[in-house]
Amino acid sequence: MAAAFRSARAEFVRIFANVAFGVSMLAIWGVLTLIGVVVQQNQPPDAYAAMYPPALSRAILRLHFDDIYHSIWYLISVGLVLLSMITATFAKVIPRRLPRLNPVKIDAIPLHEHFRVTGTPESIRARIEAYFSSHGWNIRKRSFDGVEWSFADRFNWARIGVLVNHTAILVIAAGTTLYWWLGFSGTTAILVGQTVRIPQTGARIHLDRFNFTIKPIATKSGMVYQPTDYVSHVTVTGKSGIARPMTIRVNHPIDIDGTLYYQASYGFGIAFDVTHDGKPVPGLSGHTLLQGQTLAFPGSIRSLQYAQFVPTVDKATGLPAPDPRVNNPAVILTVLAEGNPLGQTMVPMGSWVDVGGGWRIVPRKATLLSGIEYRYDPGVPLVLIGALLLLLGLVITFYFLPARLFVRVDDCHDGTCDVGLAATTIKGYDIFEAPFKELCAALATSPEIGDQR
Amino acid sequence: MTTHFMSLDGVLMIIALFSYMIGALALVAYFFTRSEWLKHLGAPLAVAGCLAQFGQLIARYTETGIWPLLNLYGSLSLFAAMSVAIFIVFAIKYKLWFAGGFVLAIAAIFLAYGVTWNEGVMPPVPSLQSYWAKIHVPLVVSAYGAFLVSFVFSALYLVRYYVERKNTAVAVGGGSTEVSVWLSSLPSLPQLDVLVYRSVAVGLPLLTLGIITGAMWAHEAWGAYWQWDPKETAALFSWIIFAAYMHLHTRREFRGVGSNWVAVVGFISIIFCYLGVNIWISGLHSYKM
Ligand code: HEM
Repeated sequence: MAAAFRSARAEFVRIFANVAFGVSMLAIWGVLTLIGVVVQQNQPPDAYAAMYPPALSRAILRLHFDDIYHSIWYLISVGLVLLSMITATFAKVIPRRLPRLNPVKIDAIPLHEHFRVTGTPESIRARIEAYFSSHGWNIRKRSFDGVEWSFADRFNWARIGVLVNHTAILVIAAGTTLYWWLGFSGTTAILVGQTVRIPQTGARIHLDRFNFTIKPIATKSGMVYQPTDYVSHVTVTGKSGIARPMTIRVNHPIDIDGTLYYQASYGFGIAFDVTHDGKPVPGLSGHTLLQGQTLAFPGSIRSLQYAQFVPTVDKATGLPAPDPRVNNPAVILTVLAEGNPLGQTMVPMGSWVDVGGGWRIVPRKATLLSGIEYRYDPGVPLVLIGALLLLLGLVITFYFLPARLFVRVDDCHDGTCDVGLAATTIKGYDIFEAPFKELCAALATSPEIGDQR
Repeated sequence: MTTHFMSLDGVLMIIALFSYMIGALALVAYFFTRSEWLKHLGAPLAVAGCLAQFGQLIARYTETGIWPLLNLYGSLSLFAAMSVAIFIVFAIKYKLWFAGGFVLAIAAIFLAYGVTWNEGVMPPVPSLQSYWAKIHVPLVVSAYGAFLVSFVFSALYLVRYYVERKNTAVAVGGGSTEVSVWLSSLPSLPQLDVLVYRSVAVGLPLLTLGIITGAMWAHEAWGAYWQWDPKETAALFSWIIFAAYMHLHTRREFRGVGSNWVAVVGFISIIFCYLGVNIWISGLHSYKM
């Protein structure tokens, strides 16, 4: 039993710690990520039916590709990447030791060079060691069978780059998990003059004013109405119970008791006057509807949905104009019968429309509303730390290449010595070819050592 | 059309475009002929074009007071400038002018394409009015520039690899030596491979930092540092590809053809992330409220 478990575990480690396996998992993660870029996310089912052939749209919905980043596939792929990375870290990265300080065959190492230097072996070794030490190499000496060796290491500490990176990924994963576990988010729409209470935090926000600025700009392809500012002036009551005036702007969220509130959107609520057979109906009149809300008429199968606000109707054509500033506004209403849409009608503010059965409505007043998003995410500091660690690890990995030089000094018994120099790195030889050449050239011309190659 | 093209901004843009085009021709010719004078013509043109481009961006900023990188015109312009700038550093450090023609030609194409997106001067929408715009955009665009350089070297690697393989097959039957003589004047396959690695070593940390600063900005502007918006996810996709490249490069059995194909795919994904998503796929990054 124990033997079977051990061999299963060994097999698991053999597969999961393999770089090829890890890269395959990265590839799967990448492909799933790409699907979510290409297939529009979080659309209603009929939107996919309209965009794709029936078989494809069915497959998208059935496989949850319409919300791929929250699908089981995505979770599994990220899980496998993490598992593979953790296994590799424990099986390969952590156990990896520095190669022992042993003599090597200088000429068998692709990066090697020989120098003839005048002096005794001791003096030459001292000079070479002094040279390398002053150039950031860490020198150690060993004697093997009467031959003196020096080993020079550089950036050995940088071997932790991999560990820093892999840890960073785990820290980011932990930070995002913290949000799923303890965090929350939501949106709320507040009409000017209205107060809302945020359910998760109990904070109360009163919208005093909302301002938006839109600049009309003539461009080569016509008039563009560029929004340049959205700002909510609010009065906020948090846990302290003290009301404070604050402003929420795009790029300038506010913090109420650790939850952040952001300016997300704006719109208009519409108050309608409703009459039946010419008489006002107090229960239905005066209510302010938000976009998408419906007005039902007692005893009638008809209802009206506030579909869209049109800030500017072109006076010449009677059609909606692209100008988002309020100037000759109207409302587009969807007429519904038993909940099914029959058609749409555009009603200028202040004019009336007959719904049938003696019902008549007048869109009376448009009130600005501010869309606020809020979010409490205790994982943010962890994610930030992970991200910075990731960056640090990448810089270490790419810019600090651990390398080792082997230096052998042989007495030629004519007042000179043969100095053999070879280099290895943890990433092979090619990557050190140019630095090695530079190093040899510098060594050969250095005044302390000089050369008689 | 009248005042705009007379402005310093327009003049510098024209100088940059022409420098790149002539420089590209000269350096491509240098690549094939190895006549030194072509290098002495092309290299200064590359530098002149690059300087003109940075001058153009600065001129545009000082003339309008608006950060010039917030539309495709400005960002493509920086992309071309950074690609050439990063290449110039590599070319000087590692003697690589032979590859400059391809970098300049691709940069010129993107720059010319960027000019077609010149819509004139517009103040930025509220979500773009942030100091992050001055940090995040240059970082990602510089990452893209580094990947353009890595693309040129990985493509050269693959061309050399396949030509060599074909040549060895031919040589066995007593084939041509002209091509092999010419090939031998290029860096060796391992040297080309190291150049790709070194340019990815510039691109990947920049892309990582670009994604991080983007997330910090999103946290401020949209309330969540990550929203699975198409632009973010496309950048994540590219990041995953280059992370895969980096891992493949640690193994001798994948280093070479395999890792260089991945680098090529990585650059294609970068262009998809950069232009494909901006143009075909809308999302939060289309900057609408
Ligand atoms: C898919 C799961 C992963 C596995 C199985 C894995 C495995 C490994 C292994 C075994 C190494 C050592 C390679 C060697 O030097 O021989 C390594 C290196 C490295 N890993 Fe990972 N890793 C994974 C994911 C990641 C991720 C997501 C990152 C984030 C950037 C990362 C960053 C690094 C870095 C920077 C190195 C050093 C590369 C170099 O020395 O050039 N790894 N990885």
